[in-house]
Amino acid sequence: MMRLALASLRHRATASTATFLTVLLGTALMGSFATLAQAATGPVSSTDQDTLVIMGAVVGGWGALIVLFAVVSTVGITVTQRETEIGLLRTVGATPRQAARLVRAETFVVAVVASAAGALLASLGGRALLEMLRHGDVVADSVRYQGGAAPAGTAVLIVLVSLLGSGLAARRGTRGPASITPSESARGSQRLRAWRVVAAVLLAAYGLAMGVVTVTVTAHDPDPYAAMSTSGSCAILVSLGLACVAPWLLRHLSVVAKPLLGSSAAAHLAAYNTRRRAHLLSGVLAPVVVLTAASVSVLMAVGTDSRTRPAGFEQDARTINLLNNVVVGMVVLFAAVVVVNTFAAVVAHRRAELHRLWLLGATPGQVESSVLAEARVVAGIGVVLGLVASLATVVPFGIARHEGVVPDGELWLPVVIAVGVVLLTLGSARSAVRRAAPSTGAVR
Amino acid sequence: MGMNSHTSQPTPSGPPPALAVRGLARTYGEGAGAVRALAGIDLTFPTGTFTAVMGPSGSGKSTFLTCAAGLERPSEGRVVIAGEDVTDWSEEDRTRLRRERIGFVFQSFHLMPYLTAAQNVGLPQRLAGHRPDRKRVQALLDRVGLGDRAGHLPAELSGGQQQRVAIARALVSDPAVILADEPTGALDSATAHEVLALLRSSVDDAGHVGGGQTVVMVTHDPVAAAYADTVVFLVDGRIAGTMARPTADAVAGQLAHLDELVAEHSMGAAS
Ligand SMILES: Nc1ncnc2c1ncn2[C@@H]1O[C@H](COP(=O)(O)OP(=O)(O)OP(=O)(O)O)[C@@H](O)[C@H]1O
Ligand SMILES: [Mg+2]
Repeated sequence: MMRLALASLRHRATASTATFLTVLLGTALMGSFATLAQAATGPVSSTDQDTLVIMGAVVGGWGALIVLFAVVSTVGITVTQRETEIGLLRTVGATPRQAARLVRAETFVVAVVASAAGALLASLGGRALLEMLRHGDVVADSVRYQGGAAPAGTAVLIVLVSLLGSGLAARRGTRGPASITPSESARGSQRLRAWRVVAAVLLAAYGLAMGVVTVTVTAHDPDPYAAMSTSGSCAILVSLGLACVAPWLLRHLSVVAKPLLGSSAAAHLAAYNTRRRAHLLSGVLAPVVVLTAASVSVLMAVGTDSRTRPAGFEQDARTINLLNNVVVGMVVLFAAVVVVNTFAAVVAHRRAELHRLWLLGATPGQVESSVLAEARVVAGIGVVLGLVASLATVVPFGIARHEGVVPDGELWLPVVIAVGVVLLTLGSARSAVRRAAPSTGAVR
Repeated sequence: MGMNSHTSQPTPSGPPPALAVRGLARTYGEGAGAVRALAGIDLTFPTGTFTAVMGPSGSGKSTFLTCAAGLERPSEGRVVIAGEDVTDWSEEDRTRLRRERIGFVFQSFHLMPYLTAAQNVGLPQRLAGHRPDRKRVQALLDRVGLGDRAGHLPAELSGGQQQRVAIARALVSDPAVILADEPTGALDSATAHEVLALLRSSVDDAGHVGGGQTVVMVTHDPVAAAYADTVVFLVDGRIAGTMARPTADAVAGQLAHLDELVAEHSMGAAS
């Protein structure tokens, strides 16, 4: 089974790269912050201990949620893409269990290598983070790095999560009767699975509830940062909730977006592809939503805070803004990698199909613009959803700080971020389709 | 039957043939592992003719069709369409040529999975920048017996139904030349008859502007070959004979004869 897994890995380099990068970066990010929590166990003052635990736990916690989500969804994409192949294996006599084992073995190989490398990066990243905190006088100069247990632990955790993700996807992919019904097919895989709906409702409800708590309770707290601590993650939670039901959202919203695409052949193809195979492209939609929501909400909240901060909280502000910037930087970097990654995986998977378009008389330019049109749909819908989700933080915090529903400044920020996210999505689509240039391949 | 390598010669004064190939050769790979799929073929297909191409598996039939359609560049030789040598045209120009003047039925159908049967049939017109003619699309689907399946996705159709969608698609832009790679390979004999009659009528049909269409069809079935005006036999990338006004029995006999030749040939090569 292992040999088959290795051969199959070599064969699907792009898809494995997506899993590899996600696991690598995820481990590096989570591991770095776990290092902070571990440093708190050393000989440090109780103030420093609080700071380190809060940073490690809060930032690490948000990060963990996003990283785990990305790992599960990336592994899920790469497994879902293999329905045809798994179906073929099944028809030549592999049992569902054997097929699922192949998928898990593959994920295992990739995840172990990637998370080991990620743990190494994390031990460096953790040191760098501590250095930064010492340098910024957030913690005392005596705080020391406490060894590699935290990065190593994170690596193990992420391997387990990857296996869980591939196990879930493999079970779905291998359960049915043996057939070679192609994964290209549209209907069938369209029903939204129950766990997605449940997770979406829980995440969104939790996010919104925290927003309500911000307005009704923590807004009146003498600590001006109480409101930020309750409202800060609302947008991210809501956006993760939306990401859970991304296939459903894409299918329905792409119908609305269709008239905006125009009437070219490329637009026609993109409209039907986004609608009828939303399960493929929703892998890209999800990180676009999270990326937009996280960066807009955190940066807007920081802006509101700097305008409305009462005097006497400068030290707190420094720590908290450092925290916020790190969160934004982390989420942006990570989500950007996931967007680029998933686009590459999705397009590489569709190489044969894009090639087919060319066979049918599409010029290479038309093939490219059909993928770009899909990217426009995904980017447009993702940015709008992300902006809506960001309101879950921006509005409650604005009310708590007496700016009202609309913040008093920096209204250009969402626009700039939206443009940036759209450009990132289009850029990754373009590079993916260029790499999968349909000029080579069988012609019959 | 004649063993000449030309189906017919163009009359110097008449219109140029719809399709002609000269010294067509195609080699895959390089060095010791190279496969010579086509080894120099001369054929002329006058406008308004129906030709069947037959031969053992691996004899180069599909390679011939894809080179003739401009999907693949030949290693040597020329492809002349309606008097124009298109061999050295740019990718862009050949794409446009295929779109406007050639209908291709692929051996493996090549339907787009997220488009319905009707949308698949209309796709070539879309790609050419036109709005598909709904009535024509529906009429073609009716002709291939899929009038009630227009809204179905390929995954919801049987293999034979998918093949018929692919045939309707090849005919939709009313192309001058139709190249079909085993268009009845997945069909039962009654449906195959419908499809062959459709191809036959597109050749004979006077309604087509500038005369009938020109059909070149690869097939393994002697009964299908009997619908053609001429049969060309390929063996090892070469023309091994032609037969005018074929009947199913005569074609079957010739195929058996070819099989003997191939068997002798491979035994000779082995010893
Ligand atoms: N892309 C390729 N690379 C290498 N060899 C190829 C390629 N395509 C075809 N060939 C070889 O060229 C020869 C002719 O192939 P072709 O597909 O034209 O045969 P065919 O007559 O259509 O056969 P069939 O009846 O089985 O469809 C075969 O020996 C095949 O192995
Ligand atoms: Mg063939």
